[in-house]
Amino acid sequence: MKISRILIANRGEIAVRIMKTAAIMNIETVAIKTAVEPGAMYLSSADVIYDNTDDATDIPVFLDIEKLVAIALKTKANAIHPGYGFLAENAYFAQKCIDNKIIFIGPSPDAIYKMGNKTIARKIALAGGIPMAMGSEGNLANEEEAIVMAEKIGYPVIIKAASGGGGRGMRIVRKSDEMEKMFNIASKEAEKAFNDPSVFVEKYIENPKHIEFQILGDTKGNVIHLGERECSIQRKHQKLLEEAPSGALDDKLRKKMGTMAVQIAKAVNYHSAGTVEFLLDSEKNFYFMEMNTRIQVEHPVTEIITGIDLIEQQIRVANGEALSFKQEDIKLNGWAIECRINAEDVQAGFAPDPGKIESIFMPSDPCVRVDTGVQAGSSIVASYDSMIAKLIVKGKDRKEAIKNCKMALDKVWIKGTKTTLPFFRMLVRNPKFLDGNFTTAFIENLDKYYLNSEYEEMLAAWLATKLFVEENLNDDSISVDFKHGKEMSPWLLNKRINQF
Amino acid sequence: MVNDKLQNKKLYALSSENRKFSFSLPLKQTIRIGKRNYEVKLKADEKFGTYILWKNRKYPVEIVSSRQNKYEILFNDISYTFTVETPFSLQRMKVLNSKRGKVEKEFIKAPMPGKIIDVLVREGTTVLRGEPVVILEAMKMQNEILSPVNGIIVKVSARANTNVMKDDLLVEIKL
Repeated sequence: MKISRILIANRGEIAVRIMKTAAIMNIETVAIKTAVEPGAMYLSSADVIYDNTDDATDIPVFLDIEKLVAIALKTKANAIHPGYGFLAENAYFAQKCIDNKIIFIGPSPDAIYKMGNKTIARKIALAGGIPMAMGSEGNLANEEEAIVMAEKIGYPVIIKAASGGGGRGMRIVRKSDEMEKMFNIASKEAEKAFNDPSVFVEKYIENPKHIEFQILGDTKGNVIHLGERECSIQRKHQKLLEEAPSGALDDKLRKKMGTMAVQIAKAVNYHSAGTVEFLLDSEKNFYFMEMNTRIQVEHPVTEIITGIDLIEQQIRVANGEALSFKQEDIKLNGWAIECRINAEDVQAGFAPDPGKIESIFMPSDPCVRVDTGVQAGSSIVASYDSMIAKLIVKGKDRKEAIKNCKMALDKVWIKGTKTTLPFFRMLVRNPKFLDGNFTTAFIENLDKYYLNSEYEEMLAAWLATKLFVEENLNDDSISVDFKHGKEMSPWLLNKRINQF
Repeated sequence: MVNDKLQNKKLYALSSENRKFSFSLPLKQTIRIGKRNYEVKLKADEKFGTYILWKNRKYPVEIVSSRQNKYEILFNDISYTFTVETPFSLQRMKVLNSKRGKVEKEFIKAPMPGKIIDVLVREGTTVLRGEPVVILEAMKMQNEILSPVNGIIVKVSARANTNVMKDDLLVEIKL
């Protein structure tokens, strides 16, 4: 059976991304219309729309295994792509698809389960001789056990959720009297996010770089890697900017880490796209962290430097095809950078700022790729993530990529919500970032999260003064409410402006 | 009357970080950088909404709020708060500020709408700067709300498993 129609069990930019490749491959797609986002952009890329707006259940359809399988059967989709997040790393969901003769576009339920459970993954890596941070063999029952383990391996330690991922359920503990509080926070967060409160501890590597390898495997036993991504620019374990390749790796280290990554994948008979994450310390020692058994948000940077469409490969592998290239065929060309433009208020510590996107313009240039699920009029809703768009920029080397990125960032225009743009505008001018000398502690050590341009502040001051003058000089002539610039109708505003 | 007062005078825009920008009246449509004057225009159209045009570049602007002489302006995705003062009101403000005693209480408010997951302090407990007091969940992320000061908790308004709006009072700390 070949894939002829894919149900996209996801939304937003990744739904659009998957549908783009499916269209090129002449495969039909089904998208799910939800009551939360009935006018979402991803719906316009689908061949078939399943209307789920009358769903009265409390959980989002993208997390409802029974419902998704039923929708696939009803719409005659013979495959499901889970995207990232939601059920992408749920072994039960993958199994349920298989049981219903629906192709799950991703790895086997067994591989998802083993890599998804961090304590099992640690055992597999340990058995394979993969370097790892010291830690507990299994899960810890309570904070007393955690304290005993932490004393053994030495502080600081990091508490992690056994079923975790994406940075949730993790807490750093620097001394024993913090353990009780942090253990409970981590465990509660893990239970809420992953339905599993079990946690373990491992040695916390101070100030590492986050380096991950893109893996690709087929069902014939071939596994290769597509080089690394540098993801150290992150805040609370949420990545903000990724690049490929990493300036911290030379060919020798790349080969060594890449070989280890392939070895881990082979240990679970991995097929489809996956990512092996490592921490790299200042002495260039690396430690296996976890394997993500899905397509990742930052996959485009790898696509740009390898020229390989990862979604296409996922679909081909799911169809039973063997990989058409070998490790030695993979060449890394140029440099790519991805900025995650999120609806977040950088000035309020990256607090989410959901709202309606009033206007959005992204640069169009041969060196720029934009992956987005948002257009003017779309809403960034509080029930989903805060992603607006991914700005992906390339160059022949890192210097050129950063230069192009700087240019592209100045051309991005988004009105309606606050965004992470001021952060990136600062970042591409930061000396430490420019010389590649940064770790995962980069953001927390910043004095300021955004670009402070005195000219821009002066222009804003001029505008404030202008408003004041207007209100005090012309108070009898105008009765327009200028307080809510956002909601003001354009013609009223024009009238207002023309009076100057 | 106000008109007469403002003619041939100066206005000052004071930023929340105490930077002072002065502008002569009548307010010019230019901004001087070094020896050159650059034209600045406030414009609006259907496609872009409101924006400022300066040195051939468009900058998105929004007036977030204006209350009396206090303005919050979103300029190129960054928010700035200014109070606009006349030379007279600026002088008066300086006098008032010097008379005002120092702050004795810190009010921790919800930085965003969300759900209180846990309250980590009780009335009477001592907290140190940087210590988490409340865990607030918003947009799938659990955020630790940290105490910005050293002090004693005098009031806890936050309750676990309840929803809060932005700026709702969570905890009151006596310095």
